[in-house]
Amino acid sequence: MSETIKIQFRSADDTTHDVEATIGKSVMEAAVMANVPGIEAECGGCCSCATCHVFSLTQWGEPDEDEDAMLDETASPRRDQSRLSCQIIVRAEMDGAVFVLPEQQ
Amino acid sequence: MSSATVHSGGVVIVGASHGGVQAAAALRQAGWLDAITLISDEDALPYHRPPLSKAFLTATGDDNLMPIKPWAFYETGGISLQLGKRVTSIDAARKTVTFGDETLSYDKLVLATGAAARKLPLPDFTNLHYLRDLSDARRLRPALHAAAKLVVIGGGFIGLEVAATAAKLGKSVTVLEAQSRLLARALPPAVSDFVTQMHRNAKSRVLFNAVVKTVEGTGQTACAVVLEDGRTFPAGLVVIGVGSLPNTELAASAGLTLAEGGILVDGHMRSSNPDIYAIGDCAACHNPFSDQVARLESVQNAVDQAKAAARHITGSDEPFSAVPWFWSDQFDSKIQMAGLPFDGATEILRGDPATGAFSVLHLEDGVLRAAYSINRAADHMAARKLITSGQLLDTGCAGNPDQPLKDCLASAPAGPVGNAST
Repeated sequence: MSETIKIQFRSADDTTHDVEATIGKSVMEAAVMANVPGIEAECGGCCSCATCHVFSLTQWGEPDEDEDAMLDETASPRRDQSRLSCQIIVRAEMDGAVFVLPEQQ
Repeated sequence: MSSATVHSGGVVIVGASHGGVQAAAALRQAGWLDAITLISDEDALPYHRPPLSKAFLTATGDDNLMPIKPWAFYETGGISLQLGKRVTSIDAARKTVTFGDETLSYDKLVLATGAAARKLPLPDFTNLHYLRDLSDARRLRPALHAAAKLVVIGGGFIGLEVAATAAKLGKSVTVLEAQSRLLARALPPAVSDFVTQMHRNAKSRVLFNAVVKTVEGTGQTACAVVLEDGRTFPAGLVVIGVGSLPNTELAASAGLTLAEGGILVDGHMRSSNPDIYAIGDCAACHNPFSDQVARLESVQNAVDQAKAAARHITGSDEPFSAVPWFWSDQFDSKIQMAGLPFDGATEILRGDPATGAFSVLHLEDGVLRAAYSINRAADHMAARKLITSGQLLDTGCAGNPDQPLKDCLASAPAGPVGNAST
């Protein structure tokens, strides 16, 4: 079994979803596998569709150039905390991390 | 055993890939409360297809398959997912579909039947592969890992993605393309040339005007691919990617009108029968951006058409009008396309291909109609917006890769001026 941690998604209406996230997989995959509403992930995680937008309450690294470009075109306006969750790889120290979902993808 | 018609009513969706699953999700999101039945002829929980020619083939051990939605999505959403069931007939008059010994009635039927790989008339060699679905990929993966020499027939997206994956695994790769360049229908020459060079840099052979005559073999094993001009390429493994044919047999048997090889649909994805919709690879739809009836094969097209069908079924009149976009990952490069190819484009090259990051823009009357980007995601995203808005571009700015494309609007000589400065 792969090692998992707990992370939380918080919907725009403040509903919270505590989900298991597998270390080494993406935050987006954790949301999809837990059926968290509000993460579309239409492209399956290859940084092509900008439909897995989250606001990350803790900064887990900087977006790379591609992600940065995609974030300029998200359906809900970009903020400082904006990330594409398919590009955040789950690490052990993220246990308890909170990701807020935008109103629109 | 006699079979009775089960009155599901509601929406029955045939085909559970990107289009079918998105149709079910969009119906529930739009507030559809009635039954939804999603029928798949595959056994697997519906999965993302694009990785099948890339990460899935590279992986060993773990299947590394990504479901489009988890089981919980179907369970909690009240979506009856019927796996491993092949719909054999539609009775459009009685509004029923039959699969196995079950017959199900529908109020609205959505055909998301996809397309099948076009087959070449060749013997059934065990080391000859096509790649469309999970079963193909599961068969190809161990063969690819074991092979030394791969010959790919057809330099299209799937063939090239398999070729790139194989080259990364250290295989000797030969790509045989019948046209004079790669992806001639989809890409402008500068982008084709870049893709060719990428494969050649990885020591793969890429041959043009290479028309395959036959594949020779001994017993059940293919040994070599023979061209019309007599050249022969030894192969331990042959992968064929020569396009696809839409799955329209059910539609044809139900008497639906076909066009461009697909099921003809209107702007709401409705076929010639008002209770039957068609979406994705199998649907031929008038595209407002190309002003042509076309069949497009992409995840984006399937997803956006699914949303359009769901909107119409739930009573909205907003038609389908998404800018087509598509991507392909080969080696470490991301190729992104927005819009559709058309004749007579004014071409702007944005950036130097030698740097490994550039875009080719195709304009008509100063308006962006299509963009082809290599490792320029910002250009691609800006292009999707600019094609939608139809705003005039400042061509000087658009040709300068250091200026963000999204800021390259011409100061319009006519029309609303707003707070334009001099």
